[in-house]
Amino acid sequence: MEYFSYLMATGISTGALYALVALGIVVIYKSTQVVNFAHGEMFMLGGYLGYTFHVMLGWPYLLSFLLAVGAGFVLGLAVDRVAFRPLMQRQTMVSVLLAMIGLSFVLKGVARWLWGGKGDYLSFPPLVSPTPISFGGIMVMSQQLVVLGAACLVMAAFAVFFKFTRAGRFMQATADNPKAAKLVGLRTDRVYMYTFAVGSAVAAAAAVLMAPLTLLYPDIGFALFIKAFAAAVLGGLTSIPGAVVGGFLIGIIEQLAAGYIHSSLQEVAAFVVIMLVLTFIPTGLFGQRRLRKV
Amino acid sequence: MRHLVGKRAFIVALFGALLLAPSVTNQYQTFVANLILLYIILSLGLNLLIGFAGQLALSNAAMYGIGAYGTGLMMAHFGFPYWAAAPCGALLAMGLGTLLALPALRLSGIYLALATLAFAQFTYWVMTHWTDVTFGAGGFVPPRIDFSPLPVNQEQGIYYLSWILALLLYVVARRAMESPVGRAFVAIRDGEVAAQSLGIDLLRYKSLAFAMSGFYAGVAGALYCGLLGFVGPESFDLLQMILHKGAVVLGGMGSVVGSVIGGTLLTVLVEITKEAKFSIEIAFGGLLVVFVLFQPSGLIVFIRKWLPGWDERLHYVPPGTAPPVQAARTAAAEGDD
Repeated sequence: MEYFSYLMATGISTGALYALVALGIVVIYKSTQVVNFAHGEMFMLGGYLGYTFHVMLGWPYLLSFLLAVGAGFVLGLAVDRVAFRPLMQRQTMVSVLLAMIGLSFVLKGVARWLWGGKGDYLSFPPLVSPTPISFGGIMVMSQQLVVLGAACLVMAAFAVFFKFTRAGRFMQATADNPKAAKLVGLRTDRVYMYTFAVGSAVAAAAAVLMAPLTLLYPDIGFALFIKAFAAAVLGGLTSIPGAVVGGFLIGIIEQLAAGYIHSSLQEVAAFVVIMLVLTFIPTGLFGQRRLRKV
Repeated sequence: MRHLVGKRAFIVALFGALLLAPSVTNQYQTFVANLILLYIILSLGLNLLIGFAGQLALSNAAMYGIGAYGTGLMMAHFGFPYWAAAPCGALLAMGLGTLLALPALRLSGIYLALATLAFAQFTYWVMTHWTDVTFGAGGFVPPRIDFSPLPVNQEQGIYYLSWILALLLYVVARRAMESPVGRAFVAIRDGEVAAQSLGIDLLRYKSLAFAMSGFYAGVAGALYCGLLGFVGPESFDLLQMILHKGAVVLGGMGSVVGSVIGGTLLTVLVEITKEAKFSIEIAFGGLLVVFVLFQPSGLIVFIRKWLPGWDERLHYVPPGTAPPVQAARTAAAEGDD
């Protein structure tokens, strides 16, 4: 039982971070119909920038967090400018995807070049003391609690932004029906632009939160992207609450698979979920049924 | 003139040079020339799937790895001779490739890309973790290959075998893409529902596209196993995926001869940039972005513009970049190849 609760605690706290990354993927997919392949790299670069500000320059954690989120926002703008906007007119999914894959490799290469040392792994100092605290007999790492709380805060902030601000409503309108949004005078190009930016900023936030729990390395972006995509697909790819639920589920599934079956399954659980969900329930748990286009 | 600068003259010159290469180059250059042959096979196979049939699958590197592992493991575990193990590896890749066509019947675009990507990562994981069979992350050394009745050692044998197969597979790809099969692929790429309404069996042709592409990658993998004399998972990671994509996009999507050019140039570029992993990543990621943005039909477009005799019956015209009249004229103008 104790082992189970330990696994659950770990699963929920990492799941919260997957949920954050998945949130960005879903928000971008909903409004642009494109999965941002470079989304993992937004996460990775956010983490490295947080490391640079906090560890290399010695700035306070909160400031580094905010700066990294700002940088994520700018990176998202760059993705839109480079890989999405010029290709959107041509309406070919294949070229947008290829451009994004290309861009993600460039960003990964740049990170390896700038921060990659011998072993490529950087460790982030813990935020709070590493002693576990007891919750009615369940031992929880205080670090995990902080991360979980912060991730929930970011999610809440995003929900408020999406529901109640002008920009958020523009995003909803564009996602709902881009043609109608254009007709009522929304500049959908801009909406796409800040959709990418906001999604990337959330990914950067997740990265700076996750950094103290794990190590940073240039390939972490892809690893996180696959897990977050698994979460998004499980939730249906078009549903924001679905992405959050999917994130927690993926976190829990991989911990349970690793804890009870074999530890190496932690890496592969996400791939298996993607393949199974896409093959058997392509609309996921909360997704809309897709219409077949001619 | 047309015959001197045309497509056929180029193929004859390239393969002629590659045939003579081992007798005038040193060991390292021969190795690179052999890699060129392998990448020609790989990009031909991937182009059939992406450029012609329009299925954006990201599993080509995995098929390449399955071909290499299939061959190497048959030799290491069961003591198969290379001539029996290599077809096993290639057919294994073809079989698994065909299985991937099943999700492809239900998925398209992004969903297919990510499902195949998940498959590729799963394959990589199996190569790394199924230690009892695949020897794990460290890889393994398959037994030396004996070409004994022929007067060649392993390096020469693999080189000439690669040369023969690359040429053969080029001819097969070209012929197939000029046949009704190629037209069916292109019809599926341009609109699945429209293709179905023309009586094209999606199950049959999508499976065929995946099977052919898997077979090409598997053959390249079987040759790679013999070329390197070592099989390890890191040869088939994500970087490999972007190299294959780069070769196809560089040469020209939907152009068979473009894949030959793309595979050749890519190998040379990799040899130049391979000093550090980040330089390959930046170079090929950047290349992919630049080509997709500014020249989505690849280098073949420039060649077609400046030299006569490079037209192909079917080629990739990205929507909105070429007027239909021009495409029709290109199709009508081709007479000889």
